[in-house]
Amino acid sequence: MKKIFMNNSFKIFLLKVAAFFVVVFLLDFMIGNLLKKFYFRQESGYDFLTTHSLENAKADIVIFGSSRAVNLFNPNIFEKEMKMTCYNAGRIGEPIFYHYAVLKSVLKRYKPKMILLSFDAGNFSIKQEAYDKLAVLLPYYKTHPELRSIVELKGSHEKVKLMSNMYPYNSLLLSMISGNSAYSKNKYSSPNGFFPIKKTFAGPLPTFDYSIEKALDSIKINTYRSFIKDCINSNIQLFIVCPPYMINSIGTDASIIQGKKVAQEYNISFLDYSRDTFFTKRIALFADFRHLNEKGVELFSNKVIENINVIKGLVH
Amino acid sequence: MIFNSFHFIYFFIIITSLYFALPHRQRWLLLLLSSCYFYMAFVPIYILILGFTIVVDYFAGIYIENAHGKRRKLFLIYSLVANIGILCIFKYYNFINTNFSYLLHGFGVSNPIPYLSILLPIGLSFHTFQAMSYTIEVYRGNQKAERHFGIYALYVMFFPQLVTGPIERPQNLLHQFREKHHFDNNRVFEGLKLMIWGLFKKLVIADRLGIYVNGAYNYVDQQDGMTLLLATIFFSFQVYCDFSGYSDIAIGTAKVLGFDLMTNFRRPIFAKSTGEFWKRWHISLSTWFKDYLYFPMGGNKGSVPRWYFNLMVVFLISGLWHGANWTYIIWGGINGFYLVFAIMTKKYREKFNTLTGIKKLPRLHQFFQILITFLLITFSRIFFRSQTVEDAFTVIKKILTFKGSIFNDGTAILLYSFFAISFLLVVEFKKEFYKGSFTLSHHTNFWVRNSYYSLLVIIIILFGVFDGGQFIYFQF
Repeated sequence: MKKIFMNNSFKIFLLKVAAFFVVVFLLDFMIGNLLKKFYFRQESGYDFLTTHSLENAKADIVIFGSSRAVNLFNPNIFEKEMKMTCYNAGRIGEPIFYHYAVLKSVLKRYKPKMILLSFDAGNFSIKQEAYDKLAVLLPYYKTHPELRSIVELKGSHEKVKLMSNMYPYNSLLLSMISGNSAYSKNKYSSPNGFFPIKKTFAGPLPTFDYSIEKALDSIKINTYRSFIKDCINSNIQLFIVCPPYMINSIGTDASIIQGKKVAQEYNISFLDYSRDTFFTKRIALFADFRHLNEKGVELFSNKVIENINVIKGLVH
Repeated sequence: MIFNSFHFIYFFIIITSLYFALPHRQRWLLLLLSSCYFYMAFVPIYILILGFTIVVDYFAGIYIENAHGKRRKLFLIYSLVANIGILCIFKYYNFINTNFSYLLHGFGVSNPIPYLSILLPIGLSFHTFQAMSYTIEVYRGNQKAERHFGIYALYVMFFPQLVTGPIERPQNLLHQFREKHHFDNNRVFEGLKLMIWGLFKKLVIADRLGIYVNGAYNYVDQQDGMTLLLATIFFSFQVYCDFSGYSDIAIGTAKVLGFDLMTNFRRPIFAKSTGEFWKRWHISLSTWFKDYLYFPMGGNKGSVPRWYFNLMVVFLISGLWHGANWTYIIWGGINGFYLVFAIMTKKYREKFNTLTGIKKLPRLHQFFQILITFLLITFSRIFFRSQTVEDAFTVIKKILTFKGSIFNDGTAILLYSFFAISFLLVVEFKKEFYKGSFTLSHHTNFWVRNSYYSLLVIIIILFGVFDGGQFIYFQF
């Protein structure tokens, strides 16, 4: 054994491997730092909005959720009707992990007066994709210690991967170029995080059933629970809102049932519009099956505000 | 345990260090135990199936060698029945039962035979075929029966090629377990380079393309023709990079340890005919079918119709080997048909080439040959990728109408995909047509070579898809 590891050939091997790792390390360090600079210099795009939500936004009302938050909750209407500043901190396609991470960063900086969490059917369904999507938080891992435990849910080796300076920016190069360009500034920027969908659904009513998934992810449920608990502990008024769908599902979605149950445990209002007949089947109010269009958003936002005011006892 | 996981990196480093640290006489045991661990990292209980085939074929080999006359054949048949039997139970039982149900349903009778609720053991078709090649070669007298049970078990279970090949032959692999492998600097680097290139193909190209392909093929009803056309072309590159990437890592891993596994791919993208394609694609399986099925059936020695028949049978069985689904059988049938059609039309095609004068422009001719071969192979892969035959026909119908626009869920996915394919084409083109020149991977200067591979690693970190998961061929 000693013979093998002490011979010249093995020593040369070790030297060459070391040289290889030195080159990789240097490139990783230089490119990683350059990318970091460009990432945080973005002035538009979804990554910029995440940075803004984590580090700068300081509104009285903060909205959390995936695309149905981003496209359906218009902060202008909330500001006007509720006389408070409002910011939409949602991000398209992101699951509860992301929302909880943003909440933790927000709470580290200040306490909003009210939080609205948009809830979707299938929110607790078991999907690896939900964990993969935590990749959007990788650039903040080193600078935001409060997010680390959530980012580490992405995989058991995330800590090792994050030893690389470049890894947090994996697959982000093009979006970073876009986020630093004037083109993106015109197209992907919003002062309050809201992106309305301007088209109207064209076509027959879809017929599929979105309530089919029964198995639920306990980690997602626990994260949702933590979201609620952190709001309660910080004395923030929390409203969980499930926006409408274009069609009624055959049964009630298992995630919605569970979401309501947990909200009830903590005495939190869960406003469920998923089967609200005011919206369902009115395709003129929808952009697609899951998303209301601008016209629908106006009606929906007002309806939510009205209900919140009733709950708060401002309107009888 | 998959090659593109940290689990494998740790495993590989530990096993390689131990391997060279141990004296030669103990190395087979280390490799065997590590292969068991490697396999059991998937579904532990399935090691029993592997154990069963190993025991059966180990004794079958000895009995075949010791027997004379008809008894030799009898022992071979026992061994083949045991191997194919296991394949039938675990891979084809439910498929056969489903089709039997359809048949009975046609007569208004319900099928009383129950379905089995079992998972397909990882890489079953691969190691079963490798085990079968052993008993066949012993029967043919080309290979002596292995008396050392551990060495024989290692032949079937050698972890680099256990789950997705290359499907080895005993003459190539068995003797290598007895040879003493010294730590060879150049060899280790060659192996590591292959592993990096394999990882690059898997993470940067295959899994990147897979994002678009899966998005399109999982919801074929909701996609337009242009999207499905692009997804089908992407799939052609994806399946190549996924599978050849795995083979590269397997061959590289074995090389580091001192073993030479057979070449499995020789740039099939540049095949000039479908016949040539099969000499470049999954070579270990193509040659397996050639040696153990096509030639024993008579190959091209009999009448022309018999030749066509042999080709069709081989490709239909090859389709079935890939999966218990009609989509694979049709895929095999299409590829068999291509070969038969190519033989039938050879004279006419030559006449056409002379008439059009394209033969005078060899480069253009070659370009069209490569393009047509690629398109034909890509077309057949619609069946390979589709979940059902119905889906495959939907895809074809939609592609042929050329309707709609390309689905673009973020320009980045498409741009990264085009970048990945371009990179692959440049590297493969250079290897195919300019072998030895402009070489970076084997440049004489250490720092140039070093920088090239460092750059590949950097690209993997920056553009690789780390959540892509398993290799496509694991399911076979």
